[in-house]
Amino acid sequence: MTTAHPPAPPAGALPYDADFALDPPLALLQTRTRRLVLRWIWTSTAFLGIAGVLGLLLRLGQAEFISLDGNLWYAIMTAHGLGAFIAWAGFFLMGITWWVLFKCGFPIRSFILPELTYWTMVIGVLGIVATTLLGGFGGSWVFLYPLAFHSSGQWSDLVTGVFSASVLLAGVSILTYCAGVLHTVISPALKAEKDTLGQRIGLAFGFGLLWPSRFKTKRGVEPYPVLPLAVNALDMFLATLPFALLLVFQIIQSADSGFSINTLLAGNLLWAFGHPVVYLLLFPAAATYYYLIPRYAGRPLVAGRAVAVSWLIALTFNLFVWAHHLYMNYPNGNDIQETLGTIMQPTTYALVLPSAMSLFSLSATIWRSNFQWNVASKFLIAGAVSWLVAGLQGIINATSMFQDTLHNTLWVVGHFHNMAFLNMGLLIFGAMYAFLPELTGRLHFNERLGSWHLWGTLIGAYGWVVCQMWQGLDGAPRRWARLPDTYMGLTRLSLVFLAILVIAQVIFLVNLYTTLRRSPFDDPSVRQGSGVK
Amino acid sequence: MTSLGMGIGIGYMIFVVLGLIIAAVVLYSTKRGRRDNGEGVDVARAERAEPWWAVFIVVLLGVLLALTIWRAPWFQDNGPGQKVQVTGIQFGWAVQPTSVKVNEPVQFNVTSMDVNHAMGLFDPEGRLIMNVQAVPNYTTTRTHTFTEPGTYIIRCFEFCGYQHHKMIYPAFKVTA
Repeated sequence: MTTAHPPAPPAGALPYDADFALDPPLALLQTRTRRLVLRWIWTSTAFLGIAGVLGLLLRLGQAEFISLDGNLWYAIMTAHGLGAFIAWAGFFLMGITWWVLFKCGFPIRSFILPELTYWTMVIGVLGIVATTLLGGFGGSWVFLYPLAFHSSGQWSDLVTGVFSASVLLAGVSILTYCAGVLHTVISPALKAEKDTLGQRIGLAFGFGLLWPSRFKTKRGVEPYPVLPLAVNALDMFLATLPFALLLVFQIIQSADSGFSINTLLAGNLLWAFGHPVVYLLLFPAAATYYYLIPRYAGRPLVAGRAVAVSWLIALTFNLFVWAHHLYMNYPNGNDIQETLGTIMQPTTYALVLPSAMSLFSLSATIWRSNFQWNVASKFLIAGAVSWLVAGLQGIINATSMFQDTLHNTLWVVGHFHNMAFLNMGLLIFGAMYAFLPELTGRLHFNERLGSWHLWGTLIGAYGWVVCQMWQGLDGAPRRWARLPDTYMGLTRLSLVFLAILVIAQVIFLVNLYTTLRRSPFDDPSVRQGSGVK
Repeated sequence: MTSLGMGIGIGYMIFVVLGLIIAAVVLYSTKRGRRDNGEGVDVARAERAEPWWAVFIVVLLGVLLALTIWRAPWFQDNGPGQKVQVTGIQFGWAVQPTSVKVNEPVQFNVTSMDVNHAMGLFDPEGRLIMNVQAVPNYTTTRTHTFTEPGTYIIRCFEFCGYQHHKMIYPAFKVTA
């Protein structure tokens, strides 16, 4: 499909705001994009439901309120990890990318790649669910090589092969997503004054801010949400390739037991993807913050060259941080891992910059603004504060000298739930409250129920995460179906908070259901949804 | 909890509280009567402050790096001492010898016969004092000097299969 460009914004509109006075070709694209994104939202939310129930079962099992035999617990853990991280949060944020881009004036140029992304992920996730919950694959989402081939009789090599192929499909989904985003972004929609490929690439990666005399756009201002999306797309494309190679090796070994690879090499192939994949969530989340927060603050994003520099740092160092997951792998006579560990502590620290600069920009945008408070903006603010809270934990985790105390403890589990659920997750809920009215044509969410959802989620999730982090600081190991008795008190206490969290999500579903049952609205002036200006 | 664990927790909380105070000030500034009346002074000021904020973050992280990197586990001295061979195999530990003397360096040589494991060493008070990866076909050496006699426990700290949580060595003795 050919690209249609949004018309020039009317006076008073914020920069890169495409959602006005749609001309017919763009309106058609909008309808198609809206349907695609909605399908994405409902599917990923269904995955959240499944992954959430599985997570609850894990904690109930640890608390000995239900009985799960060892392998079943670990199979559920494997399904929960991939389901919650990739199939819910990752998949949702991949889907919402298309809408954020559309709203910034970057309509999808070809629907083939987004459709491929959607279907390969759905089929891959179904394969993962089947091989874990039915086939018994319980190697954890990292299936640290060669564990998948040492199942102690709990699953077969065939199951390992199908599981690896299913994860590989999810990897293909990430590759097509990245290609689709780059295709959409590096496009005429950038409105480069000299419309060459080099100019487009430069503008997409922020050179319009760094070198404005060389990289000029007729838009007048660089579309900030495009920056993290372009960076993520290029990096994740490259980072997924070594992981795909590892999965291909596993598929070969599942068919030919004489084949094997070096354990340390496998670890490096895994983590070359396994860390950047966090940014498959965080960077589209950053783009969504960049898009929505200025709308509630009523002013453009306050950002300058430093934020562009920070995204270029992310673009570079994102691919060179994986070894911090292998800090504890420094066997005798293998200087390479030690060197990588020494190099990758500072490179990991460097990745603090995009977060720190983003939080600065968002704060400066909000500062003394006529900020519009509603359920969507409250979720976004809570998510941004959690970004800070969880980001500080990330600096601790990146510090090699703390690993004797923290490595593979529940502190790490608490950290990534803090980051994934309470930063990206709250952003996801905020984006749903903000975008669903305009996507579905139904106005609008009950604010009171929305507030209960927010506070229930905050109290429930933080209560549970703090319990896990405290246990971790006290030496509780992660990935244990049954923790030592000394940790039982906090495990059971966390269930109280998990109950609050579950109730909050039920409230959200009720709010969503009653909203969707309403008649569609016709008034275009309220198309923008839950109070988004 | 070890003193390092306590220190990490307290240090972290200090930064969280500082961050929350800043967030509260930012959000409070949006109250009616405190808002910018459109003159854009605050925006211009923030744009000037942005690079300095970046410099501040870089300096802070540089200091943390300088204070910590030389204490990475792989830089620790693994000098001679009482040698202990620790081998992980699904789902147990072979430890030889099973006791060592207090206040004398102990050199742990850790490996695995099958998949990745990790030796999580807990002191008699239940505190995690050391974490060493057991990688198949490789040996990792760490030296530790015990200052308290008693019975220490080894728990597996790298997920290794369906009996991972039962992979415990319950009685490594440190004698006076």
